[in-house]
Amino acid sequence: MQKNFLSNESFPLFLQGLAASGDLHGPVLTDDGVMAFRPICSPADIQLDCIRTLIPPKKYFFPPKEAILTYSPVKGYQLTKAAGKKVILFGLHPCDLAGIAYLDRVFLESQPDPLFVKRRKAVTLIGLSCEPDEYCFCGTMGTAEPQNFDIFMHRTEAGFYLSAGSSRGKKIIRRLSVLLEAREPPSPVPCECKIEETILQAATRGETFSESRLWEDFAGRCLSCGACSLCCPTCYCFDVQERGRLDGETAERLREWDNCLFKSHGEVAGGHNFRKTREERFRYRFQHKYLGFGPMRGIVSCVGCGRCRDVCPVKIDLMELFREKANIL
Amino acid sequence: MKKPTMAIAGLTACSGCQLTLLNCEAELPEVAGCFDLIFFPMGISGGDECASVDVAIVEGAVSTPDDLETLLHLRSRSRFLVAFGTCALWGGVAAMKNHESRTELTKIVYHDVAGEVLTFNPEPFHFFVTVDFAIPGCPPEKDELLALLSSLLRGSFPVFPIYPVCTECRNRENRCLLVEDNELCLGPLIQAGCGARCPAAGIVCEGCRGPVAEANVASEMELLMQKGFPREEIISRMRRFCPEWNYEQRH
Repeated sequence: MQKNFLSNESFPLFLQGLAASGDLHGPVLTDDGVMAFRPICSPADIQLDCIRTLIPPKKYFFPPKEAILTYSPVKGYQLTKAAGKKVILFGLHPCDLAGIAYLDRVFLESQPDPLFVKRRKAVTLIGLSCEPDEYCFCGTMGTAEPQNFDIFMHRTEAGFYLSAGSSRGKKIIRRLSVLLEAREPPSPVPCECKIEETILQAATRGETFSESRLWEDFAGRCLSCGACSLCCPTCYCFDVQERGRLDGETAERLREWDNCLFKSHGEVAGGHNFRKTREERFRYRFQHKYLGFGPMRGIVSCVGCGRCRDVCPVKIDLMELFREKANIL
Repeated sequence: MKKPTMAIAGLTACSGCQLTLLNCEAELPEVAGCFDLIFFPMGISGGDECASVDVAIVEGAVSTPDDLETLLHLRSRSRFLVAFGTCALWGGVAAMKNHESRTELTKIVYHDVAGEVLTFNPEPFHFFVTVDFAIPGCPPEKDELLALLSSLLRGSFPVFPIYPVCTECRNRENRCLLVEDNELCLGPLIQAGCGARCPAAGIVCEGCRGPVAEANVASEMELLMQKGFPREEIISRMRRFCPEWNYEQRH
């Protein structure tokens, strides 16, 4: 039998071992008490009981704001080069892994994004099982079953059961096998949630809840603060801006995270706005998230992490639409 | 190429916005090389008060007959007029008591000579003249000023964020003072661009950059009142940098 079990006692040594493959990052509490993926200075800083970080791991592949192109009369247009520094990203819950899998489809498939490709290749994904709270509904979106990891660590009272999901993961496990022992893994406990079937059925029939009164209620309360999409592991809308430099000759092109509730999201040259009202923007948000657009049509991109419901200052929850229709309020 | 000509001036204000330009130490030589500074009383002696300029960057609120005359003069001799800073754009701190009697306020400050002081409610530029572009902030961000200057060299204006401070605050992974700590933070209503400097240091957003487009004022008021803040206190805080809000506005 393969060596697959890491005891709690060996865990700090395992982390040290991981750090030999790249900079170790994971969930920590910042000085002002925010759960965030950050570099791990000491194993004791890792928050193993972290439910969710504020900003999802997408920041490692697709930062909030970055220059993607520079221009100068001498060198012409030049794509920005990502540093591609090796990172071991520890503590990714199944929902976050599913979020990365979705972004992989967006940024790696038909039109690969060079910056995303380089950063994604440089990051090793170490998954970790978790205990959902009242905001999560991960079982529901099929993300309880981990996917898209290099190593997944199923946590139990005595330690962690490891499985490799890639050759990179296998290599790391092999390298650190001296810290492991062979044990029969516990049988997985099925994660049940009533809303799963409701969401998937609604998505399949292309439900838009067009008659719901909730849209007006959401639009009346929404502060357009942007938190729901910044904190969403799968929201990838971005805005592109040209910034000329003071020399009058060179310039850079910036890309930054956008949000579909912002006035400018549907605005085009000349001031026309395809989604003038906040209500229209909410309907758009729902349709993108649950029905998908273009090549991603039919793919539900919500991974059930619960971040948007947790961070919204006015507690707007798109789940209410499903619950209202299914009378499971 | 002929260098664009520029005037930099101030009305009733603290001169902090103009100081923002002087604080761009690293870029000043480049700015001086790119623009022909025709008139800048705070930074350069002399200067031509009457020459036409391509751009006039002006700070302060309009609060006296002299201010108004200066503003009209600058407007008529400039191709682009830029309202520089929150006073010029919204009225700013000088306007926070605009809902009270000007006569009484003048008496409190100037006592016996109050009658001789020629003053009216401080108001933003757009009450009197057409404004081509505005940079918010008390004081404005260096980056936004430099972005404006860079764009002007190309004959355009820069694009500034059309989202609130919260967006930058969340992106920095700050602790939310409004949601987590139930503090009177105006972040959701205020134009971003400062990088959420205050909340990053644990201080609520005081609103120094003025309203963001389509601010949901009514919802923020409801949220703060649910948290136990009296309506008067919220309004008093909101008036600190912008005297006129539509408290019922949702969109």
